[in-house]
Formats: sequence, structure tokens, C-alpha cells
Amino acid sequence: MKVIIENGNPVVAKLQGRLDTTAAIKVAPYFQDLNQYAAGHLVIDCGELEYISSSGLRLLLTLRKEVAEKNGKLQIRNMNEDIQQIFKITGFISLFEIVD
Amino acid sequence: MSKIFKRLIPASLRNKSSLAIIVTAAVLVEVTTAIQYYYAQDGIRQEVEHRAESELRAKSLEIRNVMDVVEVAVENMAWAVEQSLSQPDSMVAVTQKLLADNEYIVGSAVAFEPYYYKDKGRQFSPYTYKHDGTTTSKQLGTDQYDYHSMEWYTAPMESGRGHWSEPYFDEGGGEMMMSTYSLPIHDAAGRNVAIFTADVSLEWLSEVINARHIYPSSYNLLLSRKGQIMVCPEDSLVMRKSIWQATEGMADTTVEYINRQMMAGHSGQATVRDDNGVKKYVFYGQMDGDIGWSMAVVCVDSEIYHSLRWMAVNISVLMLIGLVLLAYIIWRAARNLNRLQTVNAEKERIGRELHIARAIQMGMLPKTFPTYPDRDDVQLFGLLTPAKEVGGDLFDFFIRDEKLFFCIGDVSGKGVPASLVMAVTRSLFRSVSAHELMPDRIVASMNESMVDMNETNMFVTLFVGVLDLPTGHMYYCNAGHDAPLLIGAGVGALPVEPNIPVAVMSGWKFVTQEVQIFTDTTIFLYTDGLTEAEDTEHTQFKMERVEKVAQQVLDAHEQEPKLIIQRMSDAVHKFVGNAEQSDDLTMLAIQYINIRSSESRHACLDGRVAPNEDKVKQQRDVKSIVLPNDTQEVPRLAAFVDEVCEELGINATATVQMNLALEEAVVNVMEYAYPKNISGQVLVEAEISPDQVVFTITDSGIPFDPTAQAEPDITQSLEERPIGGLGIHLVRHIMDDIQYERKDDKNILTLIKKLQKS
Repeated sequence: MKVIIENGNPVVAKLQGRLDTTAAIKVAPYFQDLNQYAAGHLVIDCGELEYISSSGLRLLLTLRKEVAEKNGKLQIRNMNEDIQQIFKITGFISLFEIVD
Repeated sequence: MSKIFKRLIPASLRNKSSLAIIVTAAVLVEVTTAIQYYYAQDGIRQEVEHRAESELRAKSLEIRNVMDVVEVAVENMAWAVEQSLSQPDSMVAVTQKLLADNEYIVGSAVAFEPYYYKDKGRQFSPYTYKHDGTTTSKQLGTDQYDYHSMEWYTAPMESGRGHWSEPYFDEGGGEMMMSTYSLPIHDAAGRNVAIFTADVSLEWLSEVINARHIYPSSYNLLLSRKGQIMVCPEDSLVMRKSIWQATEGMADTTVEYINRQMMAGHSGQATVRDDNGVKKYVFYGQMDGDIGWSMAVVCVDSEIYHSLRWMAVNISVLMLIGLVLLAYIIWRAARNLNRLQTVNAEKERIGRELHIARAIQMGMLPKTFPTYPDRDDVQLFGLLTPAKEVGGDLFDFFIRDEKLFFCIGDVSGKGVPASLVMAVTRSLFRSVSAHELMPDRIVASMNESMVDMNETNMFVTLFVGVLDLPTGHMYYCNAGHDAPLLIGAGVGALPVEPNIPVAVMSGWKFVTQEVQIFTDTTIFLYTDGLTEAEDTEHTQFKMERVEKVAQQVLDAHEQEPKLIIQRMSDAVHKFVGNAEQSDDLTMLAIQYINIRSSESRHACLDGRVAPNEDKVKQQRDVKSIVLPNDTQEVPRLAAFVDEVCEELGINATATVQMNLALEEAVVNVMEYAYPKNISGQVLVEAEISPDQVVFTITDSGIPFDPTAQAEPDITQSLEERPIGGLGIHLVRHIMDDIQYERKDDKNILTLIKKLQKS
């Protein structure tokens, strides 16, 4: 699991691989780093994300709350169908701005 | 007193018997010496007396000889005088002849009674004497010298017999000591008419008397009848003092007694001390005949007994040295005895302690077999025979969370040092494996602890295995130990990484290996005491024989742990024969019987179905994995789920969802069923059938029912949504059924997914 952060406008964080419980612990610090852009425009690119479990969803939810608080903007893009399915089951689909 | 006694006598001699020996020896030696001394002294005394008497007799005889010569000569000449009484003038010739014939006689006179010859007057005494080689004759009697009143004249006249005068010093004449022998002359009528005399020089006396001495410093005394000193070592006394005068004022009154005895003509002996305190022995006796002289032999005590005393001193010194030597020998012997007693007592004590140590050591090993009589999936038997009272081999096992933890080890060396390390090793194994799951981590942790405290460079070869009882999957780690044998389908050694023994090097990365143990397989572990057992000719039992016995056991279907170990033990004992056991011998056999498919287990738990019946069929349909309660293990779970899904032939989306459901369920158990930092494991089994897949997640943690958790409201707004609580919701959504069960202190979570026929 990798998190690649591209500084720009918007700031793009690319998630690559499987974001399972084990990976979530590893990448938590990257998500902490993303908090500093919470006031601006953030895009999470899920084009290469293969899998996500509740631990990964928690990281996204925490970031989402931070952005809401700072009046920033968070978009998630390029989700595959499996991920979208998980977002639907958990109701996350309505909490995030999903773009193509 | 007793303190002084204690200080003077070494502790080891205070022993009564050794003291008694020395005292007895000392008394014996002293008494012997004293008796010897007494008899030696007595002998010397007798010898001295004998010599003194001989001396007295010899001197007496010598003097007598001279005197006899004089007396005989005078008597013979007296006859001539008596024949010539009618011719007064021939008397000179007679006296001259006497002198000429006798060298001892230096003067001779024929002294007549007054007026025997009318014409010769009152005094008629022709006298001849020798002086400076010339012989002179003259008339002895004069008006100034009236011999008729002289002793030499009156004494024989009265007695009518020969008479020796008191010795006298011839002043103005021969200037020498003299004595005169006088003999009466008879006329035809037998009347005494004259006295015939012979003056005898006594110069030879001192020569005779002093001719030899019985001891260098002994001396002889010759006294006249009246006590005049005639011969003595002090020349100034001779003929000048009487013995009375010479000994006057002496402290020892015995001297006076001796004088009296001698004057009285007695013989005898006495001991005296002179005024210097010198002890002397005096032997005295009278000369033979009428002469009336007495002689004394005086010997100095110190000289007589000098050699005896010198010998006595020598002997005493030798005896003393002997006694000291004896005392030393006894002391050494006593000390050695004490030491021996101490050593023996110490040996006994060590023996007792070793006996206790053995009991303690044996107490550390599992010793009741079968250990788990109620278990039907595993059977164990172990045997440890130390070469000495205590040994360095160990084995141990216990079951935790449906896993059999076991180990076998061999500490380098034998006896007490090895046994201490063995105890440490066994304790560490227990304490480390109480919270570790993987053999490599158990071994590594033990290694670090033991390297730290190992200052004696002892090490342990160790094999640690963790057999997952539900699945038969075994993780193992070998630290320099012999490879165990697997006795099942055949006989073969378990492939092992050698690694290095425990306690050799810090930081060594021990490698874990894994193997699937099939049902009815027996894992046979042993120490090198088995392969290296030696017979009397030092031939080793060797691996080939071990394998041969194992094959025989297998052929006879005797792979039950107890039987295997009995057969092996019998074989090795037969081989060794009467040779002494050279090394600790340990064997551990573990037989695994896999009856634990989920179906059969539940059935078994309910008591419905005999466990072994369908296990082959069941086994084919069940996949399982055991994971430690570590969320880091999720990738392994994912691989397992992928494998199951592949077998199910379901699509990628369904696979992702299955993964998600399993991950959520298992992570939930990992996080909640076990408290933090407590190692446990989670068993995940997948039972595949054509229409469904049943996942069973089993753990032995605290009771935890995930199904009891409240369902999250997924319609809540962002602000209201809690961060957690999604996991179980996902499981419910993906799976068709979810059930929780608490059984045998285990949490059992069953997830069922129906399969859609595609």
C-alpha cells in the first residue's frame, strides 16, 4: 500500500494497492499529513486502490471531518466498482463528493 | 588450664586415642631407658669394683714380692749371723754381703743387746749402707744414737718376729723414703741377742703404685700402718703428712670413716664428695702380710659413667626425636582421618542433595502419561534418563489455545552445571511460550535471555515446535538440535535448518519452518544420547539403528508414543549391554490424530458422531489457517481467503467482499477477544460445499459476541457519524448469516455465504 501526495491545486493523494487493517496502520501518518491541506482543495485518487476495509474507511472519514471543520473541499475520484460498492454499503457514498 | 591445653595441642590431637598412644609410647620409652640405664650403671659399677679389686690385689702382690725377697734374704742371712755370733767382727761382712746380693736393700745393721760382747761396749751395731754407688760401713750406735729404745729394735725384740718399721724419710742419708725390716737373732739357747735389719728403699713404690691407672683421672693412695702418706698424686704430701692431716677439715665425713677403716686394716668401698662437690668412689684394702699398709683406689664418678651418661643423653635425644616423629605421624594420621571423615560426610551430603536435585529436576518434566487423557487428537510420551544423578537434557510440552507447544533440548555437558542450565531453559520455555506463538520468536527470546546470563559458555541445542491441533499444521524452529523423525506414511527425518544452539550468540535470526503433520503421524524427538549411546566397545548406536527400530515399529503398527519409546529404549539398552551410560538419554514422541474438521468437532462435542469415521472426507472439504492475534497478519488471512474463493470459483467482486467480511470479523476478534499484549491465536476454517461456504472463526479469548453490537445508522450526517462501528455492519451486509457461540471457553463465530449458481 502506497500513498503518493502531489502538491498542487488541488492537492492530490493517490492511493495504490490494498488498504486493509494492516496497511491502514502504516499509512495513518500520511493521512495525518493531509490534515494540513484540510482548509484547501483535496482530491483522493482511488484509481489504483484495489481494496478498502473499515480501517481505511475510518481514515477517510476522519479526514472528511477535518476538511468540513476547516471549510475545505474533499473530492474522491476514480473509484472502481468494488470500492463504490463498499461505499454504498456503509453509506459513505452520501458523505463524500464522488467525482469521476 | 584447659585453654592452655587446647592451645598447646593441635585440634586433631585432642582426640583421646591419639593422645593416649603418644603418652603410652612416651612412658614406655622412658621406662625402657630408665631400666636400661639402671642396669648399665650397675654393670659399670660392678666392672669398676672388679677392676679396683684387681688393682688392689695386683699392687699388693707386687709389693709383697719385693717385701718377700727382702724378708727371705734377711732370714737367710740371719742364719749366717747366728752361726758367727762368736766372731763379732765378721758381722760387717754379713751386712755387706746382704747389700751386695739385694738391690732393694740399701742398708743393713746387726744391732746387739747392750754388752753382749763385753769388749764391744753397750752399743755394738756394725752397719753398712749404700750411698751414691759406694758402700760404707760404720758403727750405728753411738752415745747420741741409742738404738736400744728405737721402734725397729724394740718391736721385734718384744714380738720375737720380723717387723717392718714405719716408713721414714732418710734425711742426711739416702734422701729417700725407706722402711726397715728387723728380725731378732737367737743364740744357741734361743734368746734374742741382736736385731738384724735391712733398710729397704721405697723409691720403687710410687712407680709400682702409679704404674697404671684404671681410669685416666683415677689415682691410688698408699698409707702406712699409722696413716703416713706413702704414695699419692700430690708429691708434697708424701712422707710429710698423714692421711689425717691431709684430709683434715673436709666437709664429707665419709672421708674420716674411710681413714679409720683403712687404719683398722679393713677393706671396702665408699662414695665421697670432695670440697668442690666432685663425686668420687673409693675402693680400699690392706696389703698382704704383716706390713700393715693400706691402699686406696680413687675414681671420679663423672669419668666412670661418662660414656654411659653420654649414651643416655644420646638415647634420650633419639627417643625424644622418635616421640616427636611419632606424634607428628599420629597427628598426620588423625588429621587425614578427620579429613577423610569430613570428605565422607561431605560426599554423603552432596549425595543426598543430588538425590533431592534429581527429584526436583524430574519434577520439572511432564511425568504423568497419558498427559491429556481426555484428548483424542494428540498423544504424548516422554522419557528422560540422566547419565548421572542429574542431567542437562529436557523436554516439555503444554497445550494453549489448541496448540501444542513442545520442546526437547540438550545442554552441553553433564551433571550439576548442565542441570542448572536445563532448569533455566525449561523455565524460560514455559514463560516465553506463554505469550509467544511462533517458535522462532520463542527460541530467539530464550536465546537473548540466556546469552545475557551465560558466563560459563554453556549452550543448549533446542527444538521447539508449535503444533496447531485443529489443523495439524506445525511451525518449528531448530536451534542446533538433531532433526526429529516423522513416523507416519514412512520413516523420515524432518527437514531442519540447523541454525545455532541457544545461548551461543546474541541477535541470531532463528528461522521458523513449517510442515503439515498428517493424521496418525508420530513426531519422534530425541537427544544425541540415543544416537551416540555406546556399547562396551565404544561403537555408537547411530541414526541407522534408530531409523531401523522406527521402521519396525511402523511395520508393526506400534507408532503409539509409549510403544515407540519402549521399543527404542529396549533396543538401545540391548545394544549398550553392560557399558556405563555415557550421556543423558531423552526421547519424546507426539502422535497427531486429526479428527478436528469443524463438522466432526461439533458432532464430537455434541457426542453424536464417533470422531474418526468421516475425517478423510471432511478433511478434503475444510481449509483452515491459524493466525496470531496480530493485525499485521491480515495479508496472510487475505491470501487464505483468496485461496478459498478461488476454489469456490467466485468472481473478483465477490472475492473482495469475502475478504472484507473475513478481515472485519477476524480483526474484530484480534482487537477485542484478547487483552492488549496477550498473545493468542485465531483459527479460521472454511468449509466449502457446493451451495455455500461456512467460515468458522474460533479463539480462546475472553467472551466477546460481535453480533451483539448495535447496528450503525448509515444515514446519519457527517457530523453525527462515529468513526468506528463499521466492521460488523460490513460483515452482516456481505454474509448471509452470522452466528456467535461460546463453547468450551472459546468464542466461535460462524459466517455463512450462500453461493449463487452462475
